[in-house]
Amino acid sequence: MSGQELHIPGLFYLCAAAALLSFVYQLRRAFVARIGQPEPRTLSLAEVLRNALVYGLAQKKVSSRQFGYASIMHLLLGWGFMELFFATTVDFLVERNLLVALLPEKDTPWFAALNEVGGLMLLGGVLMALFRRHSGMRPPILPHNAFAGRGNFLGDTGILLVLLFLAVGGFLAEAARLALEAPATANASFVAWPISLAFSYPTWVVWQPWLWWSHALLALAFIALLPQTKMFHALIAVANVALTDRSQQGQLRPMNITALMEDPDAAPDDLVLGAARAEDFTWKQLLDAQACTECARCTSVCPAHAVGSPLSPMKIILDIRNDLYARTLGDGDVRPLVDGVITATELWACTTCRACMEVCPVLIDHIPAIVDLRRNLVLSEGRPPEEAAPVLEKIAKQGNPWGFPREQRLKWAEDAGLELPLMADKGQTDILYWVGCAGAYDPRNQQVSRAMVAIMQAAGVDFAVLGPEENCTGDSARRLGDEYVYETVAHQNLKTMGQYRFNKIVTACPHCFHTLGTDYRQLGAEWEVVHHSQFINQLMETGKLTVSGNVTETVTYHDACYLGRHNGIYDAPREVITRALGPEANLVEADPCREQGVCCGAGGGNMWYELPTEERINLMRFDQLAATKASTVATACSFCLIMLDDACKVRDRENSIQVKDIAEIVAEGIG
Amino acid sequence: MKICVLIKQVPDAGSVLRIRDDESWVEEDKLVFTANESDSYALEEALLLKEAHGGEVIACTLGPERSRQVLKDALSKGADRAIFLHDESFNNLDCNGLAKVFAKVLEKEHCDLILCGLQADDTGEAAVGPMLAQELHLPHVTMVVQTELLDGGLKVKQELEGGWFRQVETSLPALLTIQSGINKPRYASLRGIMAMKKKELRELSATDLGVPATELAPMQTLQRIYVPVKTKETVYLEGAPEEVVAQLVDKLANEAKVL
Ligand SMILES: Cc1cc2nc3c(=O)[nH]c(=O)nc-3n(C[C@@H](O)[C@H](O)[C@H](O)COP(=O)(O)OP(=O)(O)OC[C@H]3O[C@@H](n4cnc5c(N)ncnc54)[C@H](O)[C@@H]3O)c2cc1C
Ligand code: SF4
Ligand code: SF4
Ligand code: SF4
Repeated sequence: MSGQELHIPGLFYLCAAAALLSFVYQLRRAFVARIGQPEPRTLSLAEVLRNALVYGLAQKKVSSRQFGYASIMHLLLGWGFMELFFATTVDFLVERNLLVALLPEKDTPWFAALNEVGGLMLLGGVLMALFRRHSGMRPPILPHNAFAGRGNFLGDTGILLVLLFLAVGGFLAEAARLALEAPATANASFVAWPISLAFSYPTWVVWQPWLWWSHALLALAFIALLPQTKMFHALIAVANVALTDRSQQGQLRPMNITALMEDPDAAPDDLVLGAARAEDFTWKQLLDAQACTECARCTSVCPAHAVGSPLSPMKIILDIRNDLYARTLGDGDVRPLVDGVITATELWACTTCRACMEVCPVLIDHIPAIVDLRRNLVLSEGRPPEEAAPVLEKIAKQGNPWGFPREQRLKWAEDAGLELPLMADKGQTDILYWVGCAGAYDPRNQQVSRAMVAIMQAAGVDFAVLGPEENCTGDSARRLGDEYVYETVAHQNLKTMGQYRFNKIVTACPHCFHTLGTDYRQLGAEWEVVHHSQFINQLMETGKLTVSGNVTETVTYHDACYLGRHNGIYDAPREVITRALGPEANLVEADPCREQGVCCGAGGGNMWYELPTEERINLMRFDQLAATKASTVATACSFCLIMLDDACKVRDRENSIQVKDIAEIVAEGIG
Repeated sequence: MKICVLIKQVPDAGSVLRIRDDESWVEEDKLVFTANESDSYALEEALLLKEAHGGEVIACTLGPERSRQVLKDALSKGADRAIFLHDESFNNLDCNGLAKVFAKVLEKEHCDLILCGLQADDTGEAAVGPMLAQELHLPHVTMVVQTELLDGGLKVKQELEGGWFRQVETSLPALLTIQSGINKPRYASLRGIMAMKKKELRELSATDLGVPATELAPMQTLQRIYVPVKTKETVYLEGAPEEVVAQLVDKLANEAKVL
């Protein structure tokens, strides 16, 4: 706004100051997360900036083929908004002759055109969003009535309407300015210029102050209220992604219960065990909760939600946020979080499959939050799922969730006449083969263990097993929130294995793989753990293992969550299959697969109990796999094998589909 | 209400049992031990009664050092204190001896209610409860599947044979033996396990109790422990009715010696 006749009145500055003041005052919302527990960050400034740029400004995780429409919608909205913010700031500064040397020249055709693009992007994004929210495209979990948000002023549609008026109002105000000032670059404003030509000069003279003021006031009101509305995510989500340590995502918080148990001063009644209130989470978990954009992507991919469980990861995150705001800002009543706003059934339904985290555009860590809430139920209240309680006791007592005698841990080998080298006898070995509870006791997985032995013997691998000294890794216990049982068995394992020398641990169970390799690192383990898919793949790649490979069947591979999403291993098992079956074989992909692959339903302790749902997760997944028309469903996980084998029987497809572990497929080829 | 629960430590139900060479008992070194199943239900019933009506729950066991664990577990789940009866001279007690030792301790405790499991999963005699009631001159009800506290008394549901039940009312103090399945035993929380460490766990020996060894001499001794051997044989008698009758009479008279 330049020129004598369009001087900006003092009133505007007053309003602007008030808006800014309100904005700054509201910004205190951003700092309420400090009531959380400490969580050290080891990120360098470069990483923080990189994160902010990649996941914040560039919105890397917003773009996703899976959510194509919503991605385009948000990129338009976000970048359009950023451009307009940039343009307005430049405009404001140049008008006042501030920092001019650093800024682009304002009255250039490219600047004018760029601003028009920004405005169009925002407008397009807003219209797409409004259409999505008020048509059949709306994800069912999102509210559609105009002003109903989740504790947010204005709600979801309200804020879109504000943005719509800002975008349209911006074009009109600009058209008025062009009509009155007629700058040399006017025709570069390819939207506002035609609008300005549509009405006569006197009309614009009358309308200009109205347009300008309404636009300015709406913009100021928007700024004043921003931290209270859904748009707050534009600030807090950037802060959150910037401070996220990608390498630590999904890891459960160490509790060090062993030290706690030895502390003579620990007062049981005052201990915070897990999380039951906002302040029991770490500041980063609370920042996560604040950053949630309420996009519902997480819930839309949650397998538990899909089969009719009340679990919605978005709801969990928002419940934590509401609790945080209720306790710190007095927004709403403080209600018990665990067993109040969040029911035990919701918590126990999570399979810790990580699908939610995979799609979350703002890098929220759902699983550790859910496990913290579970920890409260178990460690503080002594309330694991009813069917899981005896399982936890069996893990603690017999060292396996089935409660079979420890001394029968090698029965699977003895029954097959295999005499396996024991660590206790050998003392050192190249490969420590970790059989795992399922591999040792579950009849279906015992076949996989025998296949593993055949493979290692054929390849001349120097290996040994722990036999009766092997103990459950504690995966299920840990994910069920029983850190006490987990730490107990983990320390036993660390002690046993500390006595021996070996180069690598190999295991066929991704749960064991993840627990030994990632969880135990928190307890000081430094060993290398290799999954059998990687191990067998390498044996074949280096020629140590040759497989006949002339099979013509059609195979599909089911990605295990703890191999794929949790550990990024997608190719090794597929390569094993193609190598084992030879060039004739047909490996077909299920829809969805890889990063988007659906859980088998056993993770996170769900192997051990059933919750009442309309459908079973393993059946849902089996149907997706069966739809490929493959005659073999290949797995690379002990639990997946049990779940999918079960589903195959329930669906009565045993005659047409075989569920097999990749090790079995390979062993068949070495005859 | 003051309640004492007797909890026996027995081998875990999934154990592989190996008989000692001298057939005196099973090899214990590789066994995993746990609280007797029905005793866990008895403990839960005691805790539920305490939660509903107030009072104190005492857990008590008799056994070797390892059995201290069942008391720790009971304290972790919410028992207020524990009594550990441990003495060399207790090693070979029979049910009568056990009842006598428990009676010595419980005489002084003046409990309103003593809860036992229905029977121990190892020896399966179901005798200690009723015998102890006898020693203490208390009324007792066995195989209890439901309890309800009345004014000054207790109403219980007792399981009979063949799917029958009956309601029994008893005055207090009394002794009950609890059937498995009566409730849902709780899981020990870490908070409970930490609190356990600060609770009283009193160890008492035969001298502490003042029970002379002579009183504990077993009336019953375990002679031999063995895997059941197949001894029965079914013989079909064939032929005309008169022949079959003749054979049968012969067998009853000369083989079974019942005629
Ligand atoms: C109705 C009924 C039907 C039966 N039917 C059959 C049958 O068909 N076939 C068959 O073989 N048997 C049967 N029995 C089993 C029966 O015959 C037993 O042999 C015997 O009567 C029970 O002794 P027990 O060792 O189990 O009990 P006890 O050893 O007396 O144990 C009972 C309880 O006493 C307490 N206790 C005992 N020792 C200790 C300790 N050291 N520390 C702390 N607490 C302790 C515990 O609370 C325990 O649960 C039946 C029993 C009953 C009552
Ligand atoms: S981890 Fe999987 S089951 Fe759990 S909330 Fe996320 S998507 Fe749902
Ligand atoms: S948690 Fe992430 S994916 Fe889920 S609604 Fe919030 S921002 Fe979206
Ligand atoms: S983590 Fe799983 S398969 Fe591994 S040892 Fe424990 S139960 Fe067994």
